[in-house]
Amino acid sequence: MSGRVIVITSGKGGVGKTTTNANIGTALARAGKKVVMIDTDLGLRNLDLLLGLENRIVYTIVDVVEERCKLKQALVKDKKNPNLCLLAAAQTRDKTAVTEEQLKDICEQLKKDFDFILVDCPAGIEQGFQNAVAGASEAIVVTTPEMSAVRDADRIIGLLEAKEEIKSYKLLLNRVRPNLIKSNDMMSVDDVVEILSADLIGIIPEDTGIITSTNKGEPIVNDEKSLAGKAYNNVARRIIGEDVPFLNLEEPQGVMAKIKKFFSGLTGKEK
Amino acid sequence: MILANLYNKVLGFFRQTEKEAGESSKDTACNRLRVVLMQDRTNLTPELMERMRREMIDLLSKYVEMDKEALELNLEQDGDQVALMLSIPVIRAKDEDEIKAALEAEDKAKEETEECSQENETDETGDSDEEENSSEDDINESETVETSEDENEQTEDDTKTKKEP
Repeated sequence: MSGRVIVITSGKGGVGKTTTNANIGTALARAGKKVVMIDTDLGLRNLDLLLGLENRIVYTIVDVVEERCKLKQALVKDKKNPNLCLLAAAQTRDKTAVTEEQLKDICEQLKKDFDFILVDCPAGIEQGFQNAVAGASEAIVVTTPEMSAVRDADRIIGLLEAKEEIKSYKLLLNRVRPNLIKSNDMMSVDDVVEILSADLIGIIPEDTGIITSTNKGEPIVNDEKSLAGKAYNNVARRIIGEDVPFLNLEEPQGVMAKIKKFFSGLTGKEK
Repeated sequence: MILANLYNKVLGFFRQTEKEAGESSKDTACNRLRVVLMQDRTNLTPELMERMRREMIDLLSKYVEMDKEALELNLEQDGDQVALMLSIPVIRAKDEDEIKAALEAEDKAKEETEECSQENETDETGDSDEEENSSEDDINESETVETSEDENEQTEDDTKTKKEP
């Protein structure tokens, strides 16, 4: 088996890299793939929280690198899905504790046993980013339809294009708010895609369910009814190679919804 | 149905007044982003662009008489490619003698500066370093210089600079 190593990166912090990682990983595992997620955000680890695995971590990536344990011992199995594993970041160390070569080596070893290795990249373009990208051959650039996030994504794309090892990168547009796009107060999906001229792999709507799912340590893809969950599931299917159309994020336009919107729109404008 | 129609009409009314008030915040964001990304991608700051614009004016003034204030030099994006767009409103084509005179004056000036630089080498090297840096940064960009007429002005006398000898 030779797995695919995909780094999930963004440049800007807070756009949803880790949430994306947790959800795509879970969705791929639910589709029957063997998945391992590597948290490379040393000192600021969070992927364990989103997966609800924070109490199960015994060894971290730094323990593996410093040979206090074997790689397999450090992999934490998911609560629900035996196909899913996490290699956690160390919370007490900084970015210098692991080198590019070491990460490359870990990815190479994991390729033998897993279909997908998802690398969660820290924010920024410094060494942490360089480390995370080192072992990967594909990338997903997460951004939101906000100026600062798009600008940072553009920078990241420039850096990824300069890396020979990265064979392809795709754009994931997170926290899209169809209402704001409709009223011309938010850049549309087409705007962002045109500005960055990159291929799109997913459009995720802003969803309050993300907050509650994080609270519970339960990725939102496990919630069949959630729109964001569906969107993340679709991203996973596209990664596998299925041709899945993008979701229609417009709200259902029943008569009641229209009346409601009419009144909320009026009060909004009178302010 | 009636309610839906009413809703659309009222909403349309509000949309219209909004549009009349100016561009939407989304358009502002898109335009600002395009400009800032162009600068990020090419390392061409507004100061460098202005310098390039001035040098362009000096260069082209030898061949045509143009509206210097209205000369526009912009980076534009077309898909993956970044293009350098130059718009020159031409007032009048210069005649042969004028062009000759301008070129001769330039050659003369060049000779003089060459003499100067031999006496005064430190100044000259500092200057050329700066220019080298800005051109190195553009290696990845394919830049096409396009000359175009400014349609709003000087319709009668406009000539494409390309056509000039």
